[in-house]
Amino acid sequence: MNSLTTQHKKVIRHGLRVVDHVLFYTLALLTVAPFVWMILTSFKDMSEIFVYPPKWLPSRLHFENYERAFQAAPFGRYYLNSLFVAFSVTLGQLITCSMAAYAFARMKFPGRDLLFYIFLGTMMIPFHVTMIPSFIILHTLGWIDHYQALIVPGLASAFGTFLLRQFFLTIPKELEEAASLDGAGRFRILWQIIIPLAKPALATLAIFTFMGVFNDFIWALVVINSEEMRTVQLGLAIFRDRHVTEWELLMAGSVTATLPILIVFFSAQKYFIKGIALSGLKE
Amino acid sequence: MKSKKQSYYQALLFLSPTLIIFITFILIPVGFSFYLSFHKWNMFSSERTFVGVSNYVQMFQEEDFWRVLKNTFIFTVGAVPLNMALSLFVAQGLNRKLAGKKFLRTLFFTPVIISPVAAALIWRWIYDPNQGLLNHALGFFGVDPINWLRDPNWAMTALIIMGVWKTFGINMVLYSAALQGIPKSYLEAAVIDGAGPWTRFWRITFPLLSPTTFFIMVMSLISSFQVFDLVYILTSGGPLGATKVLVFYIYENAFKYFNMGYASAAAYILFGILTVLTLLQVKFLKTTMYEAV
Amino acid sequence: MKISRWVTLLSMSILIMVGSCGNSENEAPQSDVVTITFWHSFVSSTVPALEKLIDRFHAEHPGIRIKAQYIPTGDALIQKLITSVQSNTAPDISWVHADYLGDLVEAKAIYKMDRFIQGPQGLSEEELRDIYPALLTYASWQDTLYSMPMEATNMALLYNKQLFREAGLDPEQPPKTWEEMYDYAKKLSTDLDGDGRFDRVGMFIPIFAAAGPMSGWMTWQWLPYLWQAGGYLVEKDQSKVLFNSDAGVAALTLWKKIFEELNLSTFTTDYDIAFSSGFVGMSMDGPWALPRFNKIFSHLDWAFAPLPAGPEKQATVAGGEYLTVFKQSAHPDEAWTFIKWIIQPQIQAFWAMESGYLPMRKSAQDYPEFKQYLEENRNFKIFVESMDHAQAQRKIDFYPLQINQYLAEAIEAATLGEQDPRTILDKAAEKSNKLLAKARSSAKQRASE
Repeated sequence: MNSLTTQHKKVIRHGLRVVDHVLFYTLALLTVAPFVWMILTSFKDMSEIFVYPPKWLPSRLHFENYERAFQAAPFGRYYLNSLFVAFSVTLGQLITCSMAAYAFARMKFPGRDLLFYIFLGTMMIPFHVTMIPSFIILHTLGWIDHYQALIVPGLASAFGTFLLRQFFLTIPKELEEAASLDGAGRFRILWQIIIPLAKPALATLAIFTFMGVFNDFIWALVVINSEEMRTVQLGLAIFRDRHVTEWELLMAGSVTATLPILIVFFSAQKYFIKGIALSGLKE
Repeated sequence: MKSKKQSYYQALLFLSPTLIIFITFILIPVGFSFYLSFHKWNMFSSERTFVGVSNYVQMFQEEDFWRVLKNTFIFTVGAVPLNMALSLFVAQGLNRKLAGKKFLRTLFFTPVIISPVAAALIWRWIYDPNQGLLNHALGFFGVDPINWLRDPNWAMTALIIMGVWKTFGINMVLYSAALQGIPKSYLEAAVIDGAGPWTRFWRITFPLLSPTTFFIMVMSLISSFQVFDLVYILTSGGPLGATKVLVFYIYENAFKYFNMGYASAAAYILFGILTVLTLLQVKFLKTTMYEAV
Repeated sequence: MKISRWVTLLSMSILIMVGSCGNSENEAPQSDVVTITFWHSFVSSTVPALEKLIDRFHAEHPGIRIKAQYIPTGDALIQKLITSVQSNTAPDISWVHADYLGDLVEAKAIYKMDRFIQGPQGLSEEELRDIYPALLTYASWQDTLYSMPMEATNMALLYNKQLFREAGLDPEQPPKTWEEMYDYAKKLSTDLDGDGRFDRVGMFIPIFAAAGPMSGWMTWQWLPYLWQAGGYLVEKDQSKVLFNSDAGVAALTLWKKIFEELNLSTFTTDYDIAFSSGFVGMSMDGPWALPRFNKIFSHLDWAFAPLPAGPEKQATVAGGEYLTVFKQSAHPDEAWTFIKWIIQPQIQAFWAMESGYLPMRKSAQDYPEFKQYLEENRNFKIFVESMDHAQAQRKIDFYPLQINQYLAEAIEAATLGEQDPRTILDKAAEKSNKLLAKARSSAKQRASE
């Protein structure tokens, strides 16, 4: 009798697992379908992109779309620019945001909360109205059409500071107090205790920042003039104008622009997975 | 014990890199746009006329402004809860023993990575009433074709679906990271006490996620109130203005009509609304959740 | 995530950054060559033609180098112009949409064309008369010429000959009147699968979101119908708009009738794609689309025809891209040299054949090479011939974009909504007239100061 119920339970649990898998794989498939269509479109001939009923597979793989897209502009250079800028901003933000977040999470100083709320508050003003003043400031600094214009304003981030602060708050103070008793300074505590524990949060911030910078269009548009300084997103704009979208080229370009981030995400996942075992525990 | 002054300087040291850049590239422009909201300025000329609060007064009299405000609220009310529920559901699912978790998580994240322009263009095609994938798929279930982007009653729904699709991956990652951090011992203890999965989730997991939930809620609210790119390409505010949202309105006034003063004033209205909403959340969460703030 | 690795990477990044900045400054131009920066938004398929054009200019003018910079179209170009004027880094020459001229003039950012036309390398009266007058209207603001058209465009009727045949219509006789167009539009519409909806539509009516970037494109295509019915956009003295006249109502009613009876609200807005799949009988488009259509419609039997005549007359809308010279330019005269060179008739003929745009001068058609090209490219010829009845909208000097938006909202509301065209147009006219009155009173105020 007893063994039968265990048997039953096993079957049920097994069944649930199957349902679970079917559910999540279907959901994932639905989520990724537009991207799959984008990849398939990038291999289609112009005439077979829009047919009714919709056709998923290209008649043959038109690799020349990629070749044509890359010949339309110096995309090699654009990629270098985009990668360099995105990499620099990401790196810079990890440093500046973790320092600021640590100060907000752990240090006591007058006006701390007010300053923090001002930080948050600035996120609420849409970029379009601050774009012109920011541009004028960069111009005064003589940075227009230089890498600095794309990198330096991105080195401070209210989002990043807020994100890291929220994570730092969940790390038990006891760990630091122990280190502090051993005579460690604030910097050492941050680098040796907090940062290693906050790897998931840092990895998350890194991927978001990298992606945000890599996909940015409007800021790069206003601060960059010359051909050799352009980024990938500026380059992709040539495939679309008011009346015409060169679908197969735009899709080929967009797929190529998406893959690097996808690879980074896929391989950086382990950092969010081997997580901190502590978050949310603050007595 | 360190002196107060010393710790003050130390805090300043930690904050200085961020502060310098923050003040130069964020605070000054934000302050400048506040100043502009009391002026008339067409952006081309160096001339700015002081007009007092008339930009604000005019805005409150504009029928269009109230409509975009309403649309923005509808979008937020539709998108934010859906986004949070879906991202938590997926993150929680991926936290269990699923085969190919890493792969699945990447699939769920792809929409976030695709450039907004390409994504919105693809969705325009998916929503196409004749040749679109969605109506084609719904046709198998006997659903009559829906005019997603042309019917004022459906356009906002279409926008919300696409908006959630595009961004829930971000919150999924945040929730995943937080879920990893919940000690197994807590949940195991609950199992021994006889708590079912439902109870375990609501009594243990969810409260422990509160710092993340707070963060996600604040950020989702800000970003859905500022939704722009997707609207611009997917529906361009149409049909009949049904999807014209606040930042679209700000953009239109700034870069179509060159009325930067008015656009800045609208931006500060947005600021006011978001500040109130955020403070309400802080207050609400302080009383209901663990030390989230 | 070793910190030491981070530090190495950061310092490397800084080195690269500093290095690259140094490089761009070292690039000093040769002392005797003047560089002219030229901002444009030609699509990638036109860029090779532009490169040929510029190469030819360089060959004839070794002392001037044209640095053509592509700026993404529409809003992006205007955002770049605003920021560049603000920071004193404007290009020498830029494309400017006619509706933005007023703002640039008021900001004292661009030169009057008179400065060059009256100058040593000027243009004669005869040469100016050779330019299509419609284009010069667009290129002016408050009756003063501030820009020069680089080429011309207009609209014609695109139709699928195969579908004409299937519907029992003569493919060599495209519609010549509104009645015929309406009639054919209905005959060409077919419900292939019997679900009560047209799978094939006889005509595509371009209705887009009025608030969006396509709204100007929509009103631009509607204007010919207003003119064909004998109407005008605005009173000559700009005291009030006239699009709510009987002619305006007739034009909008025609669009509404076709739109509703063909049930176009359930039809795609990407008409070229639907056309390519054989689902569209007729539509409208401009000459710039030809190179692309030749490629994507190669499997179809299609042609262009002049827009049908309305109750009053035959008309199409003229347009083009307008070149302005910025006052911040260090070499305005060399910039003009380039503009003047482009608008020569033989260069216009060359540019038209390379790019698919139309010449902005009548006499370009006199070149034998061009004549032969027209014979070989019938569709292109339709556009060139349509220039004879191409009209410019009367200029609205103040608030042109707002008024255009009100009109666009009216067109969208009449076709997608329930109300009748007259009520909607009247409402839009009332709003527009308020703006025109406001512009007048502020002009008076400025005059009295």
